[in-house]
Amino acid sequence: MAYTPQYGPGTSKVAANRRNQMNPNVKLEKIRSVTDEDLILIMGHRAPGQAYPSAHPPLAEQGEPDCPIRKIVKPTEGAKAGDRVRYIQFADSMLNAPCQPYQRTYLEMYRFRGIDPGTLSGRQIIECRERDLEGYARELVETNLFDPATCGIRGATVHGHSLRLAENGMMFDAVQRCILDTDGIVKYVKDQVGNPLDRKVAIGKPMDAAWLKENTTMFHSLVGTAFRSDEEYVKYVQRIHALRTKYGFMPKEA
Amino acid sequence: MTEPTYPQLRIVPMRFLNPETVEILLDRLFKAGGIRRLVLNGPSIPATVPYGPARGAANPTTYRRAIQICGEEYILGVQVGTILLELEDSSMIPDIKAVCDEVFADKFPYGITEGIYMRSNMTTTDYAKYGIVEDERILGMADPKSKQRPIILQGNR
Repeated sequence: MAYTPQYGPGTSKVAANRRNQMNPNVKLEKIRSVTDEDLILIMGHRAPGQAYPSAHPPLAEQGEPDCPIRKIVKPTEGAKAGDRVRYIQFADSMLNAPCQPYQRTYLEMYRFRGIDPGTLSGRQIIECRERDLEGYARELVETNLFDPATCGIRGATVHGHSLRLAENGMMFDAVQRCILDTDGIVKYVKDQVGNPLDRKVAIGKPMDAAWLKENTTMFHSLVGTAFRSDEEYVKYVQRIHALRTKYGFMPKEA
Repeated sequence: MTEPTYPQLRIVPMRFLNPETVEILLDRLFKAGGIRRLVLNGPSIPATVPYGPARGAANPTTYRRAIQICGEEYILGVQVGTILLELEDSSMIPDIKAVCDEVFADKFPYGITEGIYMRSNMTTTDYAKYGIVEDERILGMADPKSKQRPIILQGNR
């Protein structure tokens, strides 16, 4: 019988959202559109319109050794062209952001190829070949994985995910890369590491509190769904914890 | 020697405050009178980018700016999340609560609690870190060696 991944436990809406994001058969809902130029400006790795700088010659030119694995695994477009490895990093507020670091890594591993995600408590970085990255970044920013107010594209000085929001609902950012403009649209005024941009880059309207509560993948007892309200999830986490703790003693499940 | 103990309050709004709101709140608090010491707490907004490739570059933000408090100018280096107060006596507490109710009424909820939030005496650690501190009013408020000095507001009694 073919293996069917379950993606995660839980009966709550948060658990369902987590599963939907991880499942590559579920199409992510496109909410906003951002131009190529805008994405490139925010990431700040190359100037818009500039050719992709390369780290090595294209694979077709450099003559690959005869290797069975290379015959099985097809290179991504970026790898084929010899692009540099570049990154995009996100910080997600604990106050009902639609995604969060561990979740990002899980879903990216299920949905994308040729990536190297790095997961920390308050931020998650994804590294890959530059032209692949731009495609993946588009998916991460344009869909329901992103909210302009509670998710931030932050390369450095990421602090803010666990803090209260500002009066206008924006997540704290010491470098204030994005602002909520007078027209109600969030605009990036600095790239992800804090260099000022020549123009404001609009990324979309912040989602309202009801949408965030419905689409979040973060448990929160005060502003969202409490973790303890999802009995199945609690049981699963307790079981994993017990098995990990007793691992050295060769545990046998009753 | 018996040290006088003054009532202390902590105001915690549900959101981080804009400099404009801080100005309004402080202005009203000082007009209410009876405040000995006040600390604005919150995450730092650095003057320059602290980490990464842009380290050292200027960090223009709307949150780090000079605010006016009773005619005095003060550079707000944090996004204010908590306000600590030390009062002359506890009779002022209802007035402070009324001011907060008024300022936060149409914005968001806030919490106000009474307790001990600032030290009044030097600890051994203070002595090891700072040596002899001439003006002990700064203890428990900020680093006495900080370049940015606290402001002292006169004439609010």
